[in-house]
Amino acid sequence: MQEFLEFTLGGIGVGMVYAAVALSLVLIWRGTRVLNYSQGGMAMFTTYVAWLVIRGTGNYWLGFAAALAAGLVLGAVLERAVIRPTMGRSPLNAVIVTIGLLILLEGLAGIIYGGQYRSFPPAFSLHGLRAGGVSLGISPNDLFIAGAVLAAALILALVFRYTSVGLRLRATAFSPGVARLLGIRIGRVLTLGWALAGLFGALAGVLVTPSTFLYPNSMDSIFVLGFTAAVIGGLESPVGAVVGGLLLGVVLSYAGGYLGNDLVLVYGLVVLALVLMVKPSGLFGSARTRRV
Amino acid sequence: MSDLASLAIEDVVAGYGGGPVLRGVSIAARPGTITAVLGANGAGKTTLLRTISGLVRPRAGRILVDGADLARRHPEDVARAGVAHVPEGQGVVTELTVEENLRLGALSRRGAAVRSTALADAYRRFPLLADRKRRSAGALSGGERQILVIARALMAAPRVLLLDEPSLGLAPRMVAQVMDLVRTLRDEAGLTVLLVEQNARSALAIADRGIVLNLGKVVAADDAAALAADVALRRHYLGF
Repeated sequence: MQEFLEFTLGGIGVGMVYAAVALSLVLIWRGTRVLNYSQGGMAMFTTYVAWLVIRGTGNYWLGFAAALAAGLVLGAVLERAVIRPTMGRSPLNAVIVTIGLLILLEGLAGIIYGGQYRSFPPAFSLHGLRAGGVSLGISPNDLFIAGAVLAAALILALVFRYTSVGLRLRATAFSPGVARLLGIRIGRVLTLGWALAGLFGALAGVLVTPSTFLYPNSMDSIFVLGFTAAVIGGLESPVGAVVGGLLLGVVLSYAGGYLGNDLVLVYGLVVLALVLMVKPSGLFGSARTRRV
Repeated sequence: MSDLASLAIEDVVAGYGGGPVLRGVSIAARPGTITAVLGANGAGKTTLLRTISGLVRPRAGRILVDGADLARRHPEDVARAGVAHVPEGQGVVTELTVEENLRLGALSRRGAAVRSTALADAYRRFPLLADRKRRSAGALSGGERQILVIARALMAAPRVLLLDEPSLGLAPRMVAQVMDLVRTLRDEAGLTVLLVEQNARSALAIADRGIVLNLGKVVAADDAAALAADVALRRHYLGF
């Protein structure tokens, strides 16, 4: 019973990181119909920015803020410079470009920072919390991770729902043609979508790296699991991304806990394959067939 | 003629790759008038509207709105220059509510006060939409959707309104309502309207001028009443 509690709470903690990666993928997919394979690479890169700032200033929160800012800028710049030229062409072009970006970012990180594993500090203690002598399987840092992602997701939801910027983002995602005819500069809206995605990716990177070490490939497996979470949620829905992340986190935590930790990534791929076979539109995806 | 025109299209050639759909089309519409654009399927009516609003790039010709050439500008810039294009059929964003659809129409305008005034005006003019503002736009009937997309186009305070088949798929009573609305917009708001219609009879009934397109060329342009009275033309091109 105590194991079960530990696995569940631990799974929720990791699941929030998957949720953040999934949110970043969903933001881009909704706006540009591009699956951004470089999302993990971008998050790795912005985590190096945080690492530099923390090493230079000794202040964790400055590094945290620098990573988020770098994520915003990196997302916007990449959309404008690299993704925009692929729009209106075969979808495969964008796929190849984002895979190329991933290789480029990981190569650059290797050249600039070297390939060695570096430790990255957590915001709060990693020691497990206990309640009345019972280990809960989560640390204060896990609580921070969950709180940070939830807060970011909540702010995003409020912006989407109640602001004119959110209305622009939604209209552009649902009906870009209609949005343009109404005078909405959808190019700017798409840049903003990528910037927000960069922000969520950066958040995931800073939050997860204390438990993975920092190296040029450090976000690869997190990206795959975040992608799985996004697919579970339906790729279209921000709510689906969060739910998918939590579900995947808990399922993998049970699988890792009861079956052994070595194969967690494989279990993740099994979940991905199952979802694609049984319900490819995901839990929150629209059943509507795509417009041609 | 063209310096009096609010909308002037001069020798426009346009298409989608391959041969041109519009093969040298010229139209002039005076401010505060309705021009019916008639013709069979494939005559180029929809392409004409798409070219004016920037969705299709013309290969040649000028598109003047109040004297400014908008040819080869992006759709969002054409919209901001005061041209509202209500496309045929699926213009409603079904994932959004009625109110969100309306607010979308005013997003290109500056100032929160301007936008909320526009929204209040829309609800005053279309009480039907006020009653349904929290509903999903996808839950509206065909006629209600047509009202919504026209109301949304008006949110931007355009000077030129391009309407593509507003009567398509509507019940006869609804068609009459929409046509009445178009006439009211001309009379009260002074809008210059380009009205593409399959339903030539009801379009000519409210229009000031009419033009008939055939295979991408203007084959007739005259006062609406004269076109409606031309039996040979009606039989040959308009089918009534």
